[in-house]
Amino acid sequence: MATVTTEGTVGLGLRRVSASKSPDQNIKKSDQLAILVDISSCIGCKGCEAACSQWHDLKPPLFAEEKVFTGYQSGPGLAPSLFMFMRFQEAETEKGLTWFITKYQCMHCSDPGCLKACPSPGAVIQYSNGIVDFDHSKCIGCKFCLSGCPFDVPRYDANNKPWKCNFCVDRVSAGLEPMCVKTCPTNALHFGTKEEMLIRANQLLQGLKKRGFDKAVIYDPPGVGGTGYIYLLPHGDKPEMYGLPKEASISPLISLWKGPVKLIGSVVLWGTLLGAFLQLILFGPIKVGKKHKKEE
Amino acid sequence: MEDVKNLEEVEVERFSAFDRFVHWLTAIPFVYLFLSGLGMYSPKFAWLLPFLGGREFSAWLHKWAGVVFTIGVLLMFLRWAKDFVLDSDDRIWLANVKYYLKGEEEKLPEAGKYNAGQKLFGWMVFIGGAVFLITGVVMWFPETFSTTFVRLAILLHEITFVVVGAGFIVHLYMGTVGVPGSLSSMITGKVSALWAASHHPKWFREVMRK
Ligand code: HEM
Ligand code: SF4
Ligand code: SF4
Ligand code: SF4
Repeated sequence: MATVTTEGTVGLGLRRVSASKSPDQNIKKSDQLAILVDISSCIGCKGCEAACSQWHDLKPPLFAEEKVFTGYQSGPGLAPSLFMFMRFQEAETEKGLTWFITKYQCMHCSDPGCLKACPSPGAVIQYSNGIVDFDHSKCIGCKFCLSGCPFDVPRYDANNKPWKCNFCVDRVSAGLEPMCVKTCPTNALHFGTKEEMLIRANQLLQGLKKRGFDKAVIYDPPGVGGTGYIYLLPHGDKPEMYGLPKEASISPLISLWKGPVKLIGSVVLWGTLLGAFLQLILFGPIKVGKKHKKEE
Repeated sequence: MEDVKNLEEVEVERFSAFDRFVHWLTAIPFVYLFLSGLGMYSPKFAWLLPFLGGREFSAWLHKWAGVVFTIGVLLMFLRWAKDFVLDSDDRIWLANVKYYLKGEEEKLPEAGKYNAGQKLFGWMVFIGGAVFLITGVVMWFPETFSTTFVRLAILLHEITFVVVGAGFIVHLYMGTVGVPGSLSSMITGKVSALWAASHHPKWFREVMRK
């Protein structure tokens, strides 16, 4: 496979590169970074949403009110110029009418489906600290990353280039916390190493359980090797209500396509070429029949 | 029949100008689709894309080449599909294809205008063309279809690529090196009578009768 150099990213180091061999993991060892979203402390103020757009100089689309009713949400969902949005849903639970609020953006999967699906060497990269990012200069605009993603995250601009939350890699590289975390007024967002975040999540989980949320869970889907964004869900039995798939994993269709089908396909195509060559050297071209000539 | 030497000099028309036009209308986009597809299929062939006009450009042109290819396949289907219907002789031919590969055609049932292998490749292109079109359009506009459907489309597009691609390799080899004297049929439209009489005797007799 093509080997993509770590141009411009040497300082961070890379863990995975699309359509390429993984760089040597023995050079740089980084801590895994994570953001913990404590939904029980979120008041749905959308401060993070505004801060994200502000930091990244985005102009999110303004949705005409008469067009789609999205309730308390800013719009129907992610857009190339909207890396994250607050998702709101209401439902009856045993605790009465409940508001399910989720901070929705790229999950920074440990095993990213977008990266797996991408055919272009270097267009999707995962830094050794776990952040998943796109390199538009290497992207061919095929939109396969959308099919690879279990969370329906990448959104495409007019040139078919994908955009999504990049974990504020620019800030994080400079030792700052991501913009959304910095902004949160209730400390519902926590930033640190994955290890620390899991410990903190567990402490918060115990507190929630004491308060009677006995179905509360930490959302860190093992199907994608865990994620860089982990959630503390008070109603852990209903992740769908938060817009999160119950069992997030890379689709078997994607694994089939990138695994056995590619392998068998290569054997078939090379085998056919070899077959044609063997016919040529063993039997030779199929000339006009010699016997035919004699008969005439 | 006359002397063999004369047969070599006599030319018979195999493909009309329109036939040849339709063939190349399909084949030229196909080659581009095959090579640009190969560049996306395997990172080992990603280097092909810059030669096809650039990474981004070739992925873009892949779709439009697909549109032209579809028009070619459609015309080809309307014109040739009736000639590609397989009969009982064709089944015997296919079962004994080893004699063909060994250059012992006389041991096989006499072929008409197309032998069973050619007919089979024809169907590969027709069916493959339809699958490429449907799955290709789904992959082109993934936001308009359900995610599962798009994933399935990519998988089918790739499987079709492998099957039709293998057929194409054989077709290319047979049309150039494998069966000498074939190429002119798609360029000038004519083949030598000897070529016709030995590879497609049934068809040759029909032509002579006219
Ligand atoms: C009928 C018209 C066709 C359409 C509309 C079409 C469309 C597409 C689209 C949208 C893609 C995704 C990449 C991109 O955006 O360029 C793609 C990929 C691809 N196409 Fe096509 N295509 C067509 C015909 C063909 C043909 C005839 C071949 C081969 C002979 C082919 C082989 C491939 C391959 C190998 C890929 C890469 C998939 C992978 O990674 O496995 N396509 N096509
Ligand atoms: S759109 Fe770009 S980043 Fe996404 S899979 Fe295609 S080449 Fe990779
Ligand atoms: S959530 Fe989607 S876009 Fe983000 S890393 Fe995972 S697969 Fe990639
Ligand atoms: S980490 Fe950065 S890019 Fe991602 S949602 Fe927060 S502010 Fe936006």
